Amino acid sequence: MSRPLKILIADDTPINAKPVEIVARKLGHEVILAADGIEAVERYQDSTPDLVVMDIMMPRMDGLEAVRQIRALPVDRWVPILFYSALDGIDDIVNGLALGADDYLTKPANLQLIRAKLQVYARILALQDAVHEQNLELAAWRAEAEAQSELGRHVMERLVDANGLSDPMLRWVNLPAQTFSGDLLCAARTPDDALYVMLADATGHGLASALTALPLTQIFYGMTAKGFPLPSMVSELNRKLKQLLPADRFVAATLASIDIRTQTIEVWNGGNPKAILIDEEGTILRQFASTHLPLGILPPELFSHATELMRFSGPCELILFSDGVLEAEDPAGERLGLGGVLRLLDDAPAGERFEHLYVGVVNHMDAVEGHDDVSILAVNIPRESRQEPRLLSRVPHLAGQVVSEWQLSLSWGIQELRSLDVVPVLLSMIGQVHALAGHQGALFILLSELYNNALDHGLLGLDSSIKNQENGYERYLAERASRLARMNSGRIDMDFHLHMAENRAVFDITFIDSGAGFDFGRYLIEHREDAEPEVDKAHGRGILLLRSVCESLVYSGCGNRVTARYAL
Amino acid sequence: MQISETTSGASARLALNGRFDFHSHRDFRNAYEKLLADAAVPDIEVNFASVDYLDSSALGMLLLLREKAESSGKKVTLSGLKGTVRQVLEIANFGKLFSIKD
Repeated sequence: MSRPLKILIADDTPINAKPVEIVARKLGHEVILAADGIEAVERYQDSTPDLVVMDIMMPRMDGLEAVRQIRALPVDRWVPILFYSALDGIDDIVNGLALGADDYLTKPANLQLIRAKLQVYARILALQDAVHEQNLELAAWRAEAEAQSELGRHVMERLVDANGLSDPMLRWVNLPAQTFSGDLLCAARTPDDALYVMLADATGHGLASALTALPLTQIFYGMTAKGFPLPSMVSELNRKLKQLLPADRFVAATLASIDIRTQTIEVWNGGNPKAILIDEEGTILRQFASTHLPLGILPPELFSHATELMRFSGPCELILFSDGVLEAEDPAGERLGLGGVLRLLDDAPAGERFEHLYVGVVNHMDAVEGHDDVSILAVNIPRESRQEPRLLSRVPHLAGQVVSEWQLSLSWGIQELRSLDVVPVLLSMIGQVHALAGHQGALFILLSELYNNALDHGLLGLDSSIKNQENGYERYLAERASRLARMNSGRIDMDFHLHMAENRAVFDITFIDSGAGFDFGRYLIEHREDAEPEVDKAHGRGILLLRSVCESLVYSGCGNRVTARYAL
Repeated sequence: MQISETTSGASARLALNGRFDFHSHRDFRNAYEKLLADAAVPDIEVNFASVDYLDSSALGMLLLLREKAESSGKKVTLSGLKGTVRQVLEIANFGKLFSIKD
């Protein structure tokens, strides 16, 4: 509904102004009078009318000049001006409208016409008011949205651990569509130096994606630092997101583990484009397609953490990228697509595939606006055959360091051995001991090898030489899973003892498994210190590795009992 | 995006036309809520033959529809998938959640 208006009537002849004034007052409007152009401009400025009715022929300043001056003033709203004049030639009318007036009434005007016109303007002004209100509200919303976006950007920047991404094996780029990218790139090393990477693409942009990223990064960095296997991490990521997110939100993710020591790559892809493994010559070794639903959709009982595993035998590159790369459109609207990506990788000179892909995507988009977030992560995988992993946290032996004694004994039954990630659990317990902080890396290796020996070889009777055959690694793991599922009895007892021995701080770890053991006496005779690393690995018990980490390694019983001494 | 609804015997069919993205939210929701509330409709078929673009918010809307359909005891089928629309749904492995018809 229209509200009462404030109407300014400018006329040097009161008799002419009177009819308009009466009609206006009858409609419930307020009237302000001016007798000439100068007064009109003054009254306009001090009483801010909603509508002006202006005579043209006036002394001191005519209506035309008054309108020019009024229109030159700064405005935040439209104030309609009607010329009310005896000049009725077409030129006069056109001229008046051109100066900035909105309407022209010739004198003497019919009262009903004046009334009708005033009502039209009242309606239009009411409409203007409504639009103005909406604009104010919109401006407030927009300011709020910008503030939220800024908060999202701030949080995202701090979530992404830049240290992890500055790993020498990585190159990456993350091009946001808006203020910041909703794509998340993460990288970190496990205690035994395997590289874990994650490329996550959440539905939505801005604050929504930052909110989703929070639990993802916490879980990723936390579990990688503890050395959890990739499938366990993926299950936990899904469980957490399913718990937190509404039904229509999810996160497409690619997670990969690259382990130089075992020469394996493990990938889980749910909802992202294929991850591509390409060798130095440009041959595509494997395309890891999305075989799972994105994270946050399926409940834990339906979720699959099955990863794809492969062994690499030469230098290669693993390239992950988000949907935005495939969807990148050129000015003609053509998508880059997987074909475009493969072409770019193929055309690239060796050693420059990442750069070539990145530049290629940017060139394809050719500054077209409105693209999706584009992110690419490339892992440069060297052929490096190492027995001894780089231990990131090497603390020098401190002569004369005294520790207070600490002991822990644990016994694991078959239920726990089947369902728990035992090594990370051990590491987190042991890692709490003050004197052992800083030895996480070495201890992780030690515990992993001892545990694998006790479980895989001691209880399950597996032979590591399978791993060296064609597809051996996958077959080994499948056989392991099958035997573990069938096993209905078995124990591994562990003892951990931190104490002083001959004035040195030492940490003794003893593992006893309920298996048949092995002929360790013969083994130690046949495989002396100078044995080929490959041969030792082939027999699977990683004894050379254990020896490189600990001071002494003693087998007893029927070979099912081992004590490793680690010097601090 | 335009949505047209046809009912033939056992199932109601929503034929989508145009871009299925964030802006389609309200229209899509209104269309399927009507069908879900109708006890005479046992199943819903969403047809994509005339859809030229699908993004992740559209996938989210399908997930929401699926959840609501399950609580109403109705089934959802997707049909007419081709080209990039088909590719997007395949990468997301939505075939594990919905039955797909040609």
